[in-house]
Amino acid sequence: MFARFSCIAVIALLATGCANTSPTLGSKNISYGDTKAVETVTNEFGSTDLQMIAESMTRSLAQSGILQGRPVVQVYDVKNKTSEYIDTREITTSIKTQLMKTGVARFASDNNAMQSQVDQLKLQNQSGLYKKSTVAKTGNMVAAKYRIEGSISSIVKRSSDYKDVFYKFSLQLIDVESGLAEWMDEKEIRKTTER
Amino acid sequence: MRPCLLLTLLLTAITQLAGCAAYRNYDLELEQTTEQLKQGNVAGSLALIEAHNPDEQKDLLYYFEKGAVLSAGGELPQSQAAWRSAEQMVVERQDTIETTGDKLLTAMGNHWGSIINDKLRRYDGYDYEKVMLTTQMALNQLAVNDFDGARADIKKTHEREALIARQRELEYERVEEVAKQQGVRVHYKDLQGYPVVMLDAPAVIALKNGYQSAFSHYLAGFTYEALGEKNLAAPGYRHAIELRPDLPFFQQALRDLDSPGLKGDESDVLIIVQSGLAPARSSLRVPYPVKLADGQVIVANISFPVMVPDTSTRSFSQIGIDGRQKKLIPVNSITDMSLRTLRDDMPGIIQRTTYRAFLAADVQATDNRRDPSKASYVTHWDGFEQADTRTWRTLPNLTQVLRLRLKKGEHTLTLPHLNSAAPLKIRIDQNRQVITLRALGDRVFANGSAFGPGKTVAERVVNNLTR
Repeated sequence: MFARFSCIAVIALLATGCANTSPTLGSKNISYGDTKAVETVTNEFGSTDLQMIAESMTRSLAQSGILQGRPVVQVYDVKNKTSEYIDTREITTSIKTQLMKTGVARFASDNNAMQSQVDQLKLQNQSGLYKKSTVAKTGNMVAAKYRIEGSISSIVKRSSDYKDVFYKFSLQLIDVESGLAEWMDEKEIRKTTER
Repeated sequence: MRPCLLLTLLLTAITQLAGCAAYRNYDLELEQTTEQLKQGNVAGSLALIEAHNPDEQKDLLYYFEKGAVLSAGGELPQSQAAWRSAEQMVVERQDTIETTGDKLLTAMGNHWGSIINDKLRRYDGYDYEKVMLTTQMALNQLAVNDFDGARADIKKTHEREALIARQRELEYERVEEVAKQQGVRVHYKDLQGYPVVMLDAPAVIALKNGYQSAFSHYLAGFTYEALGEKNLAAPGYRHAIELRPDLPFFQQALRDLDSPGLKGDESDVLIIVQSGLAPARSSLRVPYPVKLADGQVIVANISFPVMVPDTSTRSFSQIGIDGRQKKLIPVNSITDMSLRTLRDDMPGIIQRTTYRAFLAADVQATDNRRDPSKASYVTHWDGFEQADTRTWRTLPNLTQVLRLRLKKGEHTLTLPHLNSAAPLKIRIDQNRQVITLRALGDRVFANGSAFGPGKTVAERVVNNLTR
């Protein structure tokens, strides 16, 4: 019996090259796709969700009539209350970009960009490296009239046949001086996968 | 015999004997390699890895082990390069759209693997190894305060974990379905002499699965928090809590996420102590009675993998900081993860192994019919019938952490099992800092920016003999 197994082994080794079945480089099918195409690869948060939320929020805010006279707005982080690693900054960046493009608002440095802004001002004013007439003066930064903040949460349910994910994205515009919420909207998304 | 002569002889013998996967005794190879590492001989350990892998085309395990040894030795850029190669292999295999030829070769390899032994199957790495690979790569970068670099590997970790979750869900269902169709109803609990207790240990059963690491998610949370991305830090901590609801340490991190920031001279320090080695996989022969169509019952000796936990490093639960003892929180055990993986993989292993048992019994029955005078009702054991013992062995077993606020400046660290060694000096100079220590045997490998620049490997390894 040992001889039989040895024979099988030898054939197997010859046939499989000691199971060396590494994939070959350069044999993959790669193509570029439409960035706006609806993505349903998995039911986790994806590019279509990001685009839907950003478009819906921008439209709602721009049409609300609150943003008169291109006010200065500061964008805060959107709290991620889900268990998914959703980069909510990408959502607010999209909203900010679209509002900037339509020209309805101006944006003050947000919390993350503030340090770079302060460092640059310090560098220009304290290093002695720059021509005085070109140096940006301190004390002239424009304060925000409004701040934008929000959150995203989700409810996930599974059964043996289905997985259902419900996302709720809320955003609000708050008047910094009065503390009043001047605008608020939310976008709900439901994604169901049949297993 | 002098150790260097012994090592030379060993290297020569290995070079001569290193051969095909079917004969490879990975357990033995890594016993030799890790022995050198335990002695603080990083170069010797690396030489053995090279000697055991003479082929030009290296396999995944080669890069796994090499990266870990280089990391312990403080050669962090080289370690990253080795692990990056491993990662590339994992990604290629994960993303490859297989051609018909690839599919045929893989199927043949796996089919012969089912007939001869599991060692012939291509080693694609266990899921927990893939998750831990990018976690360890992130740790290499955090040790030198490269939070942006670590972020990229952290992101890969949770993205890969999500992908594994989707694949496994379907695969386990498929194996169960095939087993039902084939009428294979053997459970690992039915295997005579198999150490069932290990697979059924409470810590193993408590894990949600074998590949999700609460520590990896916690590290993701810490890294994102350090980079000011609280929106990503929160799910990191939340995942860690979901995986280990018993640990208040993780809950505290989520609570503290919105608390006031650090004072000017303070630093949020995460001390990570990784100790021991991943468990070995050994092959255990189990007698398996096969009832054939003609009524003959023939006992086939078939092999199953068993995990052998590493006992080389004494466990400890405290660390001294500036002379004060602080409790370390155990957050990850590769032993538990690998046992859970084996537990979950057992239906598939049993399916392949019992197939071999039926083949062997059938051959024996034919021989019995041909020559009844020499009939045997126990199959002869052939050299090929061995379980797959390949696994990433130099991966640290236990991960313990401590998070605290320290004033920027010099501090000292002491580990209880190195009480006779001089305290390790660390320098805290970042707002958020990660200190990584690797304990193995009676040695501690202290690498990273906090321990000072330009040290040799020998200077970075502390042992009980250092005074």
